[in-house]
Amino acid sequence: MAELVGPRNCISNPSDLRTYECDGLTSFRVTPSLVVLPASTKEVVAVVKLARANGLALVARGAGTGLSGGALPVPGCVVVALTRMKRILEVDLENGFLRVQPGVANLDVSKHLGPEGCYYAPDPSSQSVCTIGGNVSENSGGAHCLKYGFTSNHVLGARVVLADGTVVDLGGPALDAPGYDLIGVLVGSEGMLGIVTEVVLRMLRKPQATRTFFATFPSTDEAGNAVSSIIASGVVPAAIEMMDRLAMQAAIAATGVDWPDVGASLLMDVDGPLAEVEHTSRHSVELARQAGAIEIRIPKDENERALMWKGRKSAFAAVGRISPNYIVQDGVIPRSTIAEVLHEIAELSQRAGLRVANVFHAGDGNLHPLVLYDARVPGQEKAAEELGGAILRLCLRLGGSITGEHGVGAEKVAYMGEMFGDADLETMHRVRCAFDPERQLNPGKVFPTPRLCGDRPGPYVPHPTELSGQATRG
Amino acid sequence: MSTTAPAAIRAGTSADAILGVVPKEVFSPSTVEEAGAILEDKARASAHVGFVGGGTTLSLGRPPARLDAILRTDRLTRIVEHAPSDQIVVVEAGLTLASLQRAVAAHGQRLALDPPLAERRTIGGLVATNGFGARRTRYGSLRDLIIGVSLVRADGALAKGGGKVVKNVAGFDLPKMMVGSLGTLGLIATATFRLHPLPEVDVTLVARKKTARDVRSLVRAMRGAQLEPAAVAAFSAERDLDLGIRFEGFHEGVKEQVDRTLALAAKNGAACDALDEASASAFWARHDTARTAGPLRAKVAMLPSAFEEFFERFLPTLHAAFSETAFVTYPTLGISFFSGVPSDAGAAAAAIASARELLAPGGGSLVLEEAPAGVRSHTDPWGPPPASFALMRELKDRLDPGGRLNPGRFVGGL
Repeated sequence: MAELVGPRNCISNPSDLRTYECDGLTSFRVTPSLVVLPASTKEVVAVVKLARANGLALVARGAGTGLSGGALPVPGCVVVALTRMKRILEVDLENGFLRVQPGVANLDVSKHLGPEGCYYAPDPSSQSVCTIGGNVSENSGGAHCLKYGFTSNHVLGARVVLADGTVVDLGGPALDAPGYDLIGVLVGSEGMLGIVTEVVLRMLRKPQATRTFFATFPSTDEAGNAVSSIIASGVVPAAIEMMDRLAMQAAIAATGVDWPDVGASLLMDVDGPLAEVEHTSRHSVELARQAGAIEIRIPKDENERALMWKGRKSAFAAVGRISPNYIVQDGVIPRSTIAEVLHEIAELSQRAGLRVANVFHAGDGNLHPLVLYDARVPGQEKAAEELGGAILRLCLRLGGSITGEHGVGAEKVAYMGEMFGDADLETMHRVRCAFDPERQLNPGKVFPTPRLCGDRPGPYVPHPTELSGQATRG
Repeated sequence: MSTTAPAAIRAGTSADAILGVVPKEVFSPSTVEEAGAILEDKARASAHVGFVGGGTTLSLGRPPARLDAILRTDRLTRIVEHAPSDQIVVVEAGLTLASLQRAVAAHGQRLALDPPLAERRTIGGLVATNGFGARRTRYGSLRDLIIGVSLVRADGALAKGGGKVVKNVAGFDLPKMMVGSLGTLGLIATATFRLHPLPEVDVTLVARKKTARDVRSLVRAMRGAQLEPAAVAAFSAERDLDLGIRFEGFHEGVKEQVDRTLALAAKNGAACDALDEASASAFWARHDTARTAGPLRAKVAMLPSAFEEFFERFLPTLHAAFSETAFVTYPTLGISFFSGVPSDAGAAAAAIASARELLAPGGGSLVLEEAPAGVRSHTDPWGPPPASFALMRELKDRLDPGGRLNPGRFVGGL
């Protein structure tokens, strides 16, 4: 491997390997045997072929900010870190796409396009460091995907190294190429179908105007009702985020943001052409008041707006200020059940004797309950995990999902069998086998039960006696 | 008596033929479970099965290599669930788009998808063929609107992917996999979509008799001015193009965008008129007709910037090989459709081959949606298979190991 990528880009020293033993889900750790940092598609191909010849599993990885253990190594595996491949290869403004390497940080794409008045829409909270390759793997979302969609809506194509070392281009900047939508299948496949070495992204023109407001409420009930009535009025917010009291307290402690101590708050963006935005923001503010808002703040300049968003985006990390440890959940519920679900979460939290801070993308019902605990107290970690699990089951009972944007990874494999039936999972497994029959890419993720791929089934060929009508199969 | 029949069964007739291939039997299951039982039974018999919804797009693709049975979705027409406050709908495959739209419109919502023939086209057929209309400009295509799917596999097993919430990344994206798969991976049994609010107002502007260059520069100027049209479509009027621009939304916003566009267009030498409601309907009806008329129809995809040159170079060929030609283009998408009456099969096939040659270097494609048998015998409706064809073959083999679902009809004979 050192010959293939250069000795400096091949890590085998046990203490250096530990850097790669987990991603953002730090409670799951496995030290890999080797980490390679290839610099080109060609090097990735060579690494994949050598690993395959030696029967080694491969785990691709970007910045390691994932929160579900999607980049968790498996014992004996080779981690392929794509962080050296961070060039922007092509920008085509007229056709609205750009071609990048997988190691480019999400925010760097928008920074690069900024002077042209364009940007890349998906905006995960970790966007200043998380990579496009990781985003493709996990189908990352962000606060603004309510209006603009997820990574899968913004990836037009990719160059992929398959498990056998074949390089294939899926999709591309021209739309609707004949055949199956394999790029649609690839995005969100959690690194199990191939290693992405180039990505074609759709860019958007920046909206003419953005209006933001921050509203406080006595409780999450009123805030939830405000969300429902804004959406029912026909407004499609660019983002609408809710925080409960505990989450706000954490954000205040961490960033010093000037927020009152209230039961809940909403932070909402509308964007688009100026007159439309003036109308929808005015209308939404009015609906928030009618729903029982205590106070509504409208930032007077871009600086104030940025501060409001900073408070929101730092909420996860801020929880570290008020609790030694915490688990981040990513369940999704039908939006209309927000108020009900928060009551149930509060009950579950009381019963478990653990605090839960709620920060979430209210517009699309994507909850991020943060279960707070202290790992030094015996039994608390387990209780926190159980509480997290109970919240996911609550989401499923209401017709939701176990993950809205973090991915199943290693963390939620146990819940896949509760969300999907055997035939569903087996169908997805067949897709995996079509791409990676040896199951060498990122094993142990997504699927709850290990399965073999079996022989490659060939197409049915009728026997001559069948064709002549002398025999039938049955 | 009919209540005891698990599924309506009858012998196939020439009226059931798919591109001339007549099935032996035709099934119309009344539930998804019945569809599962039929496909399980057909798997045991190694029977080759095709799927038919509204029957509007059966000419897409090659003729089936073999067709023992057709499964029609005409009795799978339920709205399984519509949750207005969550803006989602779950429907069975045989429901027509128009029926779906009427049901959700009662709650001020719509599926932001506007292909022609909505009264006849079914949800299953639209998903299987990736159907779309001019609003794709703003709302994206089916892949951007579908959030869940349930399918009946070749072996009769019922499987689902995605879910009922807009935001969901659990498991592989089976909904996107099924979009445009032409019934070759399984029967699309139900589909779940995100809905959008119906707009308060809807205004169409038209710029008549423009060149491809005028269209390109106006579209570019609109993008620069941060205008957000719901639809942009142009169709041919002899050698020129009539460009339609549609704005939708709240009254104030639409008015302001319309005013700015009128000013911008005048400045760009492409003066527009705002149409009254009747003229706007007539304009979009003309669009729909151009998309669905003619014995030969093709869909052409390329980078948006390539259109101008393609149009200039291809138009003479098109006019030489076809009469009664029509051309529709979506300038922001880079997708166009043309139709015509071929004067001679060989000349028509040669025109298609030359268009494919023009398109290939930029990664474009040309797919025949409808063509007379004479033209079909000279050209593959899909064109050359894509670079990732081997992987497509693997996927097909894994999901339909016997190659029995719509055999031979899709790209490369999948």
